[in-house]
Amino acid sequence: MTKELRSVLLVGGTGFLGLHLIEQFYRNCPNIKIYVFDVRTRPEKISKYFSFPVNDVKFIQGDITSESDISRAIEESECDVIVHSASPMHGLPQEIYEKVNVTGTKKLVETAKSMGVKALVYTSSAGVIFNGQDIHNADESWPFPEQHMDGYNETKAIAETYVLESNEPGKFLTIALRPAGIFGPGDRQLVPGLRAVAKSGQSKFQVGDNNNLFDWTYAGNVADAHVLAAQKLLDPESSHAVSGQPFFITNDSPTYFWTLARTVWKADGHIDKYNIVLNRPVAIVAGYLSVFASKLLKKEPGLTPFRVKVVCAYRYHDITKAKTLLGYKPKVDLETGIRYTLDWMNESE
Amino acid sequence: MGKLVQLISHPSELRAVLQYKLFRKPVHENDGKYKSEELAYCYYMLGCTSRSFAAVIKELEPELRDAIMIFYLVLRALDTVEDDMTLSSDFKVPLLREFHHNLKLKEWSFDGSGPNEKDRIVLVHFNSILSVYHSLKPIYQDIIKDITDRMGNGMADYILDEEFNMNGVATIKDYDLYCHYVAGLVGEGLTKLMVEAEFADASLTKDGFVKSESMGLFLQKTNIIRDYEEDLRDGRSFWPKEIWSKYTDSLPSFREDKSPESEKKGLECINELVLNALHHVKDCLTFLSLVNDPSCFNFCAIPQVMAIATLALVYNNPKVLRQNVKIRKGTTCNLILKSRTFPGVVEIFRSYVRDIHHNSSVSDPNYLKIGIICGEIEQFCELMYPSKGAIPAGVKKEPHPINSNVAKRAPIDNTISKTIKAEELKCDLTIASAVTLLGAILFYIRS
Repeated sequence: MTKELRSVLLVGGTGFLGLHLIEQFYRNCPNIKIYVFDVRTRPEKISKYFSFPVNDVKFIQGDITSESDISRAIEESECDVIVHSASPMHGLPQEIYEKVNVTGTKKLVETAKSMGVKALVYTSSAGVIFNGQDIHNADESWPFPEQHMDGYNETKAIAETYVLESNEPGKFLTIALRPAGIFGPGDRQLVPGLRAVAKSGQSKFQVGDNNNLFDWTYAGNVADAHVLAAQKLLDPESSHAVSGQPFFITNDSPTYFWTLARTVWKADGHIDKYNIVLNRPVAIVAGYLSVFASKLLKKEPGLTPFRVKVVCAYRYHDITKAKTLLGYKPKVDLETGIRYTLDWMNESE
Repeated sequence: MGKLVQLISHPSELRAVLQYKLFRKPVHENDGKYKSEELAYCYYMLGCTSRSFAAVIKELEPELRDAIMIFYLVLRALDTVEDDMTLSSDFKVPLLREFHHNLKLKEWSFDGSGPNEKDRIVLVHFNSILSVYHSLKPIYQDIIKDITDRMGNGMADYILDEEFNMNGVATIKDYDLYCHYVAGLVGEGLTKLMVEAEFADASLTKDGFVKSESMGLFLQKTNIIRDYEEDLRDGRSFWPKEIWSKYTDSLPSFREDKSPESEKKGLECINELVLNALHHVKDCLTFLSLVNDPSCFNFCAIPQVMAIATLALVYNNPKVLRQNVKIRKGTTCNLILKSRTFPGVVEIFRSYVRDIHHNSSVSDPNYLKIGIICGEIEQFCELMYPSKGAIPAGVKKEPHPINSNVAKRAPIDNTISKTIKAEELKCDLTIASAVTLLGAILFYIRS
């Protein structure tokens, strides 16, 4: 028998994933009180995609690196569980990642623990095990790379480790979810980025052989996994098995990278008549040349060695652990998720 | 002559044919000696009715060989009755429903088949089949009788099904049911025989025959997709209306209407049928992982690898709408040689699944679904046999049920793998010697 959740504090709840978290807690936990803590204020306009009544959600503005702000939010919400999904976007300076992902997370955990909060669900990232190398069907036994490929994933790994090591059965329970390739309404990187590629006429280029499998995950499914995690943590029967553990979360449908990209373009009404294939080594050289030329011209390079490695790498995961221990099943399939995302983009244009 | 040209233009397949014909040793040699005249005659009839199947059956372990041969002939007898258009439905239906009772008799035969009915020999000489049938272990007899009963009744039901006979297969569920009667039941019977002989894991009979069902359906669906044009010529159709009606108002139009638009719709229909068939692959691979006797493994694996190769051939292939498409003889030999171990089978499936993925058209309505099922199958293959360097040093991945199947059969696969390597070496040495000799001859002629 699952204990009914009375109150949840969503840290980072006005962000891309945050809104989906509000939605899924609203849909799946009757009578729950939802509190949102974010550096941003309550969003002015919320997409029609979301069905939760905005006025029933309490928004608390504050800084995650401020102990007093955190404690005020915890006090006000009297939360059973904290869901921590606050995270800066890719492409920002390292100091921002350190501040929010590492320092902020530590402050949050310490404060929550000292104030008697029972549980915390941390949104980590599947990227914590990625270092540019191929990932074939990885599960949670995969180690962190010795040298992270970028600052973002390095700080996510540090934060995740801290969260899981803070697990204290009977006192403070923690769990980390590692979603892969999140997309959906509110997404400003993945699907919008692909749409921009098509509009610039670059979609006919295929980098690599398109044998590499990739995991995308619809944001609503990621949020649903968080609800399950919170419920399992607070259920005495299941908390022992899941607490202190990381879990990969995907759509359980690894798909070839360019097949996914072309599906987005097709749903957007764009199908190329032919493709130009650049194999990986050629593309990496082109990437270096592109970076060099862009520096001379002082503009943003479209092709970089980093991006080549990303689009050519296998990055798919074995989520058996999440399916068996959390009871996770992706409810929205990739095709439907892509349609929701494009509908959302069209709505906000 | 066309075949020779075809082989020469595919050198690796030429080598495969040579290796297959000259160097491959069956798991069990068949000495051609039989303990009774009736048994000898039964094997003769087997050769008459299916040359390719006969070759595979003859390589089975002796005890199971006779049982499966009889099983095959009995079902062929049923099929011969069912297929015979010179017999009225009123006559056929009771005969099919009661056919399993004939197996209890010491003597029974039937010479009422039409003179042109291809396999009438099995009915005319059914007495020989009965004689051997009764010499089988009682448990094998019971298995064969049970399947004969159910299949005979299934056939009778279809003969009486006016909707089916007028309009063909309606829903996907009907499609699966039809394939169940035609092929799934055979798979179930074979599974029971193999488990009884302890050549396959007993769990295969404890899962409601889900996996053996997939084995049968995968083969049957592949043939149904491939045989579109041939079946239409025979006045039949087995493609489910639930699928083809999305693409046309009339199934024959794909063949008759030569326009690009019609061809495009036909291809989209084929591709959806292929997508449907691919959902059986994981069960098929799991089934094969549980067959431990090498000759039984070959017996089960060969048709499956032929089927996945055929699916890759028909996928997005406009020729299917116009003619019978077949995999090349050299490809066949290659597949037989490579499918003697489970890792070999998995590699074959993975390779053809990738071919299907790469042959996809973005405009196909099932483009992403095909990509996803191919990805799912690849993930399953990766789970069983990880890519080189895929698992980081020191990682102890959580095992899945399939991994214990793979581990259990590894000694068998390793032994056979050594045999295969020795065979390949002999073949290569022979080819090298032949080429050297030919070179020497040419040299002396010229000087």
